Amino acid sequence: MRTIILGHGLAGTMAGKTLRELGSPAEIIIIGEEKYPYYPRPNLIDFIAGDLPLNRMFAFPPDWAEKQKIQVNYGRRITGLDKEKMAVEIDGQEWIKGDNLVLATGAAPLLPGIPGVEKKGVFSLRTIDDAQSLLEFLTAGPEPEVVVLGGGLLGLEIARAILKRGLKTVTVVEYFNRLLPRQLDETGARLLRVQLEKMGLKFLLGKEAAEIEGEGKVSQIKFKDGSQLPAGAIIVAAGVKPRIELALKAGLSCNRGLLVDDYLQTSQAGIYAAGDVAEHRGRIYGLIPAAFDQARTVAYNLAGQEKKYEGTVPANTLKVAGVFLTTAGLILPEGEGFEILSRLDEEQGVYKKLVFKDNQLVGAIWLGVKKGGQEISRLVQARKDPGQYKSNLLADNFDFSRLNNL
Amino acid sequence: MEKWECTACGYIYDPEAGDPEHDIPPGTPFESLPDDWVCPQCGVSKEFFQKID
Ligand SMILES: Cc1cc2nc3c(=O)[nH]c(=O)nc-3n(C[C@H](O)[C@H](O)[C@H](O)COP(=O)(O)OP(=O)(O)OC[C@H]3O[C@@H](n4cnc5c(N)ncnc54)[C@H](O)[C@@H]3O)c2cc1C
Ligand SMILES: [Fe+2]
Repeated sequence: MRTIILGHGLAGTMAGKTLRELGSPAEIIIIGEEKYPYYPRPNLIDFIAGDLPLNRMFAFPPDWAEKQKIQVNYGRRITGLDKEKMAVEIDGQEWIKGDNLVLATGAAPLLPGIPGVEKKGVFSLRTIDDAQSLLEFLTAGPEPEVVVLGGGLLGLEIARAILKRGLKTVTVVEYFNRLLPRQLDETGARLLRVQLEKMGLKFLLGKEAAEIEGEGKVSQIKFKDGSQLPAGAIIVAAGVKPRIELALKAGLSCNRGLLVDDYLQTSQAGIYAAGDVAEHRGRIYGLIPAAFDQARTVAYNLAGQEKKYEGTVPANTLKVAGVFLTTAGLILPEGEGFEILSRLDEEQGVYKKLVFKDNQLVGAIWLGVKKGGQEISRLVQARKDPGQYKSNLLADNFDFSRLNNL
Repeated sequence: MEKWECTACGYIYDPEAGDPEHDIPPGTPFESLPDDWVCPQCGVSKEFFQKID
């Protein structure tokens, strides 16, 4: 029995790791194009900030794969896929055959289709290589004014990391008229903006990039409304697209992502998918907890222990030191039957919002206070009814550990 | 003893359980974990953990 895993990011690695934990005797081969062993991508933020050296990026000791009897081939690209033969082509040269395949090819940054994106000085951040070329550029020559395109979690974390590196001018540009449009409502976004401005970040909201200008390398960015902003370096953090190229070519059913059923099987029996590449019940998560759940589910099914994946409740923590923000589940409910409890303290920069449906906690924003954030987030993920505690949840002095016994 | 949560993946470090798989005996407080200890679930460094209070 041989399982071939395509991609050695979180999903591919965890699928292999879990297979071994389940005692599978299968031969496991992981193939990934990045020339480094597995590392978690959030570490890239600390790497850019200067808080984490390259040699501490990696999750496992160098002999991990060998000890696990997992054959990891990194620095090699898969160039072809034959779904009937269960075979993959490596580096355009050799084909290897397996009994099962797991597609864990992840996602790639989405670049705007505007003139000038190919110019020197335009970056995105997904890999160690991306991070290294960005740092090289930022630290060579006179200090550039940095523009981050995208006011989502990743954009804000990158912007903050660059400030922390010591660069002075970092502006975040967002197409929507508020920050974190997917995780926050108006009120939350306004408060967050104030807190990040105090740290030295600048913001331009409601702006759509039209063109990146510059001779040889970028010098400014022009917006649809005709205004412009000087930019010596631009980092695009405007979402990702699932890497379905191989799957499409091989004839596996795809929408925006690679389609999987509740067993995470693709349209071809024996070929599974997990992580940022997969689309399950119309959702592509792009988040570690989902990639992790999916990878584990794939491993169970491969090990012959049938397991269904029912979805993951998205939860996010903004990892910017000094700002506490946790959001989970549905924060901007549309339609009938929702109940909202909230508390706002402008002066303290505190905003708490809870969204209930049929007494179950289905969404939460927890901004400006750390206390309770993780407990509330877990309550949302478990879709629990807080019962008798419902009316106490917004109180600052509530003992949140009581929720653990629900 | 205080539990700590990984802000990237949600893993919870419980000092009472430790992390025996990585030679961290039960009873080890988070603060005493070695600097190169990483999240056993997703692999991020210690800096990504937040105390649960
Ligand atoms: C800077 C940064 C910070 C993040 N922070 C968080 C966070 O705090 N919390 C969170 O939940 N999520 C976070 N994310 C998102 C998270 O990293 C992804 O959800 C996760 O990496 C998905 O794992 P994956 O294995 O599906 O995909 P990936 O990590 O993208 O791995 C896919 C791998 O497959 C390889 N590959 C693709 N095609 C081929 C091919 N043809 N041949 C060989 N190899 C191939 C790729 O090179 C890549 O190494 C962050 C992302 C970034 C970039
Ligand atoms: Fe983690």
